[in-house]
Amino acid sequence: MRQIAVAIAAAIAALLLLALTGSAFGHAPGELLGTLLRGSLGSRFACEGTLLKSIPLLLTGLSVAVAFRAGVWNIGGEGQFLAGALAAFLVARSVAIGPIAIVLALAVSMIAGAAWASIASLLRLWRNSPEVLTTILLNFIAIHLLGYAVNGPLQEASGKYPQSEAVPAAASLPALGGTELHAGLLIALAVCGACWFLLYRTSEGLRLRATGFNPFAARYAGINTGAQIFRAMAISGAISGLAGGIELLGVTHRLFERFASGYGYSGIAVALLAQLHPLATLASAFFFGALVTGAGELQRSAGISSTVAVFGQAIVILALILFGAIEKRMARKTPRRPAAGEPASVPSEAVP
Amino acid sequence: MIEQLLATSLPLAIVASTPLLLAVQGELIAERSGMINLGIEGMMLTAAISAVFAAQLSGSIAIGFLGGIAGAALIGLLFGFFAIALRADQIVTGTAINLLALGGTGFVYREMEQSAIFVRSVPHLGKQSIPLLQSIPILGPLLFQADLVVTCAWVVLPIMLAIILWNSSFGLRLRACGENPAAITANGWSVAAHRSAALAIETLLVGIAGAYLALALSSGFAENMVAGRGFIALSIVIFGRWKFKGALVGTTVFGATAAIQYAIQAMSPGFQFHLLLVLPYVVTLAVLCGLAGRVRAPQALGR
Repeated sequence: MRQIAVAIAAAIAALLLLALTGSAFGHAPGELLGTLLRGSLGSRFACEGTLLKSIPLLLTGLSVAVAFRAGVWNIGGEGQFLAGALAAFLVARSVAIGPIAIVLALAVSMIAGAAWASIASLLRLWRNSPEVLTTILLNFIAIHLLGYAVNGPLQEASGKYPQSEAVPAAASLPALGGTELHAGLLIALAVCGACWFLLYRTSEGLRLRATGFNPFAARYAGINTGAQIFRAMAISGAISGLAGGIELLGVTHRLFERFASGYGYSGIAVALLAQLHPLATLASAFFFGALVTGAGELQRSAGISSTVAVFGQAIVILALILFGAIEKRMARKTPRRPAAGEPASVPSEAVP
Repeated sequence: MIEQLLATSLPLAIVASTPLLLAVQGELIAERSGMINLGIEGMMLTAAISAVFAAQLSGSIAIGFLGGIAGAALIGLLFGFFAIALRADQIVTGTAINLLALGGTGFVYREMEQSAIFVRSVPHLGKQSIPLLQSIPILGPLLFQADLVVTCAWVVLPIMLAIILWNSSFGLRLRACGENPAAITANGWSVAAHRSAALAIETLLVGIAGAYLALALSSGFAENMVAGRGFIALSIVIFGRWKFKGALVGTTVFGATAAIQYAIQAMSPGFQFHLLLVLPYVVTLAVLCGLAGRVRAPQALGR
């Protein structure tokens, strides 16, 4: 209950600070928030745009939530997203039959994302290399490999732009009943449910959370924390990879240099606002999806840079930390029954 | 051919990677005190934009650099408040600060583009040779003929900071904060104070780095102009195994790779330079997993 209050307070604080910053530069705060709302939820078109943006955010958010729950710092969502998209592209363009191509491409995108993430987890387990740094390095490697691919072997035949050919229309995700949306939305929702089930209804999920909550206690209870970290990272990478595959087959249809455009990093904000709970990630991804879409409208109609969405993400994270700290202080002053098994918002033993 | 490439690219690499080296040294000090500042990228970006505005407003290059330091200090205070005072997670805080700076500078830059100040020209840091030292063979043209910042970053600061870190009692306590903070507390010293001091040093260096990037290497601000240099700095600190000698070697390797890549691009347009770009990261990854010898991070890094 208190966690939900903290999250909502953080979201509201972000919007208020956004309006305040805008007014410092001469934009009427009411008008700014109004445009933000109109651009994200004001029309059918706006709502579809918001939902469309929420799909990758939901998936990268879930990816971060699973990893952070297990106490692994997967900052590599960006790289895993690209690995997934690249693998999906290779499959989608070489398999002839549409439906098979889609299923195969998405499956391979998950494998590619998991494999890319596993480099980091294996290095941590074998060589004790901090995954915070290895995943960031792997992001850069993936970005440059993608740059190589779309400037070299995968560049479109005309050779005009650094981008690939479009995937065949048959291998694109089907649209949902005459809307801008695509079937990736349903897949993302299914993954969200699956993550909840995994974390809270299976023994695997219990072990995973225990590893993040207190690795020493987990080891004492007979959990192989190393294997748990490896599996959590693989699942996390698979979800980010899937996000890349879905974005390719559902929205862009092509690969290009700036394909990831920050979805991996935004996933961190999504997961933290959701307090690392899969079902809350739904609301959180929708909130940030609306913020991104509304910011696009701000840029079009008010000339305000759409990067305010990124600014908003940052404020949400910082406000969460601040309010969380205040809440903890208040809780210390007014003694209350410690809720048994209450999860820490962020596992504190994660950094090696 | 390789020699010729190096001869033309190395002077370029030294100047171009000066902001990187400053950031590396700042981060090295911070990490030695047990703090990992992932927000260094955002700190440099904020420094760059505030340096440009300060320089445009005053028309003075020196005030531009001061503005850069002030911008970095703003981010430093924020990071210090969350990571040191609230003891919030450093990685989450750093990530948030990067997003904050990326979004914030993008927003402010677009707003200021329309204002009157923006039309004023940005002063540019000119060349400045150091007398006597500039005539040293090989090193002279590389380090003493560009400008004061290059000389400071590559010669003065590494020596000064290394002496502080390794040969002063303050440096010893700073390193103890990174290895065993409990020992510092037990001796009646404050871990928070030492980490704040380390953060202040980092802020100063990153502020100069951002200003140099905007006022010397380019002429003004551009969105996301730091372009990953902060993250590369984090990698080089590891590459150099948390030592100043390693930091110098690592920065040179990264800088030379980038410069050679430009040279190759100019010489043979069809060459796939993207694969070359991957190389420094793969090398850092190899160093991180101990393939190139033993690597030991400060024990309390990130806690």
